[in-house]
Amino acid sequence: MSSTRRGVGLNAFSNAAISSEQYARHGQQLRSNHAEALANQLSVFQAALHNFSLTHAKDIRSNPNFRAEFARMCNAIGVDPLAGSNVKDIRGAGGGAGGVWAKMLGSSVNDFYFELAVRVVEVCRETRGENGGMIAVSDVQKRVAKGRSGLVGGGMDATEDDLLRAIESLQPLGGMFKVQVLGGCKFIRSVPKELNPDQAKVLEVIQILGHVTVSMLQANLDWERARAITVIDDLVADSLVWIDSQAEEPEFWSPGSMHEGG
Amino acid sequence: MAATSPESSLSSFSTTAYTPSTTAYTPSTTTQAISSSGFNFPTYTSFPPFYTLQPNLTTRTHQLELWSTLISSYCAYYRIFRLSLSSLPTDLFSNANIHRSLKPGDVRTVLDHMSKPENGPRIDWIPSTTRNEQSSSCYVYWKTPGEWADALHGWVDETGQKGTVLTVYELREGDAVRSKEWRDMDEGMLRKVLNVLVKRGKAQIFGQEENAGVKFF
Repeated sequence: MSSTRRGVGLNAFSNAAISSEQYARHGQQLRSNHAEALANQLSVFQAALHNFSLTHAKDIRSNPNFRAEFARMCNAIGVDPLAGSNVKDIRGAGGGAGGVWAKMLGSSVNDFYFELAVRVVEVCRETRGENGGMIAVSDVQKRVAKGRSGLVGGGMDATEDDLLRAIESLQPLGGMFKVQVLGGCKFIRSVPKELNPDQAKVLEVIQILGHVTVSMLQANLDWERARAITVIDDLVADSLVWIDSQAEEPEFWSPGSMHEGG
Repeated sequence: MAATSPESSLSSFSTTAYTPSTTAYTPSTTTQAISSSGFNFPTYTSFPPFYTLQPNLTTRTHQLELWSTLISSYCAYYRIFRLSLSSLPTDLFSNANIHRSLKPGDVRTVLDHMSKPENGPRIDWIPSTTRNEQSSSCYVYWKTPGEWADALHGWVDETGQKGTVLTVYELREGDAVRSKEWRDMDEGMLRKVLNVLVKRGKAQIFGQEENAGVKFF
């Protein structure tokens, strides 16, 4: 309802105002028609997707192969199965569809990875006192499968792929969790301090041999004693290795093997 | 099923091997110590650094926790109520297979850790009878005195013995408690438990020493 105000030169103005108002209304009509058609299409699509995720929710949660395939499919059509808003090239389907899409897919897939990420964070925190914040992915996998101590059930059957995906999803937390490879083995680092090359080298050697002595480092890496001692001291200070002082020469062990075979 | 002779080495252990006799099932992990009495030693008891008190405090805190858990479970398994530093169970504090053992001074450090209220307390030092001498023995609380008090009182209640007077002897060694977890509990510890009940107003103690009697309410 336009109000007609009379004033100087207002006639011309009000004409223009009326026609631009008409244009506006017409444009709005067009937009709402399109939007309505789009909304219809979307809701059909959403329903189908929702049904899919409901039907296969159990599979998604319990079957690592299915989950991997599902994740591959999502990536192929430009949808991140995890993120709410991280959508590539889906503008053609309508701007806001991305978030909705992921939300529809998300319920079981999202939940699984979210829960897995939470478990990974918990395991890293629980074991930090023992391993200084460096834990093998295989170790995390075992602990996650076992479930929370003291609680029956609740173990999650996750593949290494799943774990790496879950860790990826933790990036928004400020890069607290990084994957590092030592001696061919993947580790999750959950402390901010990075290893310098010497420290990484020694940890790698320990990973392969189980433990080292200063003499072994000297002999195998051709390091001066002082250098070897410095690095070892660093690793001890960061609680990354344990000391055995009852051997002929003090031995430095990775805590990774402490609970193995149990 | 292959029967393994006691002399067979650890390396010949398979996942299906066990000694089918009155002695215990030996766990299938290859690095486990064999105990004739069957306590299932966790894998970390075969980790050599476990027997060295770690210099890094973060690591040490975790190590002390592992020792505390080990000692509590071991004592619960064998129903050990009291540890004496002069005669500690060897397989608890050392692993002969890897030739490692916790030094006596470090044993005390572990027990000190367990004696702190914020850590339980899971042990309670028994004051030495000689003045100015450190304690050399302790009670082990694989159940707390409060938990024992509940168990004891619960049994008295269930068996309709409230109001009757029971002797300390009966409570410790009587036929009626033969199947009870607290049977043969160290007497000093039993008194602590009874004192908990007294404080709660659930029991009263009459008489002294061996002739002491307890009435439960």
